[in-house]
Amino acid sequence: MARVSQRRNSARCWTCSSGCERAVVSASLSTRTRGLLALGGAGLVGALAGGRPELALIAMPFLIFVGVGLALAREPRLEAEMELDRMRLLEGSDAMATVRLGNHGKGALQLELAPVRSRNLTLEPVGTVGIVLRADAPAELTFRARPQRWGAHAVGPLVVLARDPLGVMTWEGRLGQRLDLRAFPREQHLRELVAPLHTQPFLGTHVARVRGEGIEFADIRPFRAGDRVRHINWRATARRGGVPQVNERHPEHSSDVVLLLDTFEEARDRAGGTLDGAVRAAAALARAHLARRDRVALVDFGGTLHWLEPAFGTTQLYRIIDALLASDIAFSYAWRNVDSIPLRVLPPGALVLAISPLLDERSLAVITDLRRRGCDLTVIEVSPLDHVSPGESAEDAVAYRLWRLQREAMRARLQSLGIGVAVWDRGGNLGPALEGVNRFRRSARPALRA
Amino acid sequence: MRLLVEIGLVVLAAIGVAGCVGLAPGPRQTRGRRARALVPPRPDQLLALERLTLSARTSAVHVHAYLRPVLVEIASRRLAAHGHNIERMSETTGRKLLGGRLWDIVRPGRPFPEDRHGPGVTAEELGAMLDVLERL
Repeated sequence: MARVSQRRNSARCWTCSSGCERAVVSASLSTRTRGLLALGGAGLVGALAGGRPELALIAMPFLIFVGVGLALAREPRLEAEMELDRMRLLEGSDAMATVRLGNHGKGALQLELAPVRSRNLTLEPVGTVGIVLRADAPAELTFRARPQRWGAHAVGPLVVLARDPLGVMTWEGRLGQRLDLRAFPREQHLRELVAPLHTQPFLGTHVARVRGEGIEFADIRPFRAGDRVRHINWRATARRGGVPQVNERHPEHSSDVVLLLDTFEEARDRAGGTLDGAVRAAAALARAHLARRDRVALVDFGGTLHWLEPAFGTTQLYRIIDALLASDIAFSYAWRNVDSIPLRVLPPGALVLAISPLLDERSLAVITDLRRRGCDLTVIEVSPLDHVSPGESAEDAVAYRLWRLQREAMRARLQSLGIGVAVWDRGGNLGPALEGVNRFRRSARPALRA
Repeated sequence: MRLLVEIGLVVLAAIGVAGCVGLAPGPRQTRGRRARALVPPRPDQLLALERLTLSARTSAVHVHAYLRPVLVEIASRRLAAHGHNIERMSETTGRKLLGGRLWDIVRPGRPFPEDRHGPGVTAEELGAMLDVLERL
């Protein structure tokens, strides 16, 4: 206990020595010094106990060396500044972290330093870096930071171990500040999206089912009062005996899209998990739908519930991606249903894209409940089969096959309710899976409208 | 007098050695987080089925109460894809499509086993049933 309090008392600011709490340093004798002291002390004890003065003579240089070292040792006055060349990047790409070190003391220092980093961030060079820092001669080091996974990461502060030139004393502390690095998920470019059943009366790119001002031809009908002359189809009018016929068209509207991200459970192996795929899919879908002028909302549905209300534009895209970076599996026994989701996040007629590994009963219950309430719903199943391997015993191998068949049956049950299911395997392309859903939705349209 | 001085010096040296070896704090090692050799947890769905296949070996009750509903759902969905309804299927067709052992388990109206401690289904038997289902 006494040692702990002593260390706390000796902790002080690395640069200004004024006791600020952010950068603290603890001073101690180096391992070499402790060894030399032990040798010197043993020599003295041996000399006195055995009456052999030559032992004291042998021990004396060690003790003199330590004494001189301690007399010359001065507390270092270091400063460090860290900066990243970018604060946002795509997962798997690199950012360069530059560390500028300054020594305002009187002598040179041997430094061993390593930046503190997040778990899913790799730094090159790996491990501790050793340099000799001379007085008033600033040095610069660069580290290559590479996020292995999307999310919010951090680099810094530096953990620094400094030694005086004779290596008698060591000072250990932290320097610099923590820098945040946000790694955006790597997205796929989607050519085809799930076509919504209903559109909203805002200008967009989806051909609406209703008729009005637009480009896409819909039908021909007789002229009515209020119709514009430019809409008269003169050829059809001539064929129908002079009764004016006008063209009807489908307007181009936008739609509301709700991304429902299932964070109840995930399957994970060492290379990644279903949540990684789900976040990448959600980011790609959000970007593609917002580019088509749709309003997009996000519901992070799991142990904790987060949501973003529907909105248009690039700002919404960055809001969604920021929200996705914070998404994680939160273990919970709480039974959540559709009533937990605020109504304003699920506008009427919205296309709901549920991105889920279909592993938790609660998410299955929500999906079927939404469909039974008449929601236009599609499930993007991030397949967990790629992340789980069969067990070694015969029973486990059979259970794995049974699981695969059970999941197929579950998918068939959802499709029988009119829910399109796109299965997305790891490493596969999301586009073809969405094409399959659109084919299913075309064939199941009567059921979807019911 | 000289003896006292020598004893004092010995004590001082012993205190010095003890202080150098034991009390002086050494430099702390800046170890990173230990790489935890985590085995990723298996999904609950799969764990439940692994327990199910184990328990199905033990008795006919487990087969009827726990394994049968799973097999019925799989068989009915796969048969429905080919236009068959397991509820209305004749025994001859059922035996022809599913095989005798699987049909005995999934047939509609199967009574609760009279012998509660009767034989269950081994992994090999279950594997053969799954072969049939996968071929459908």
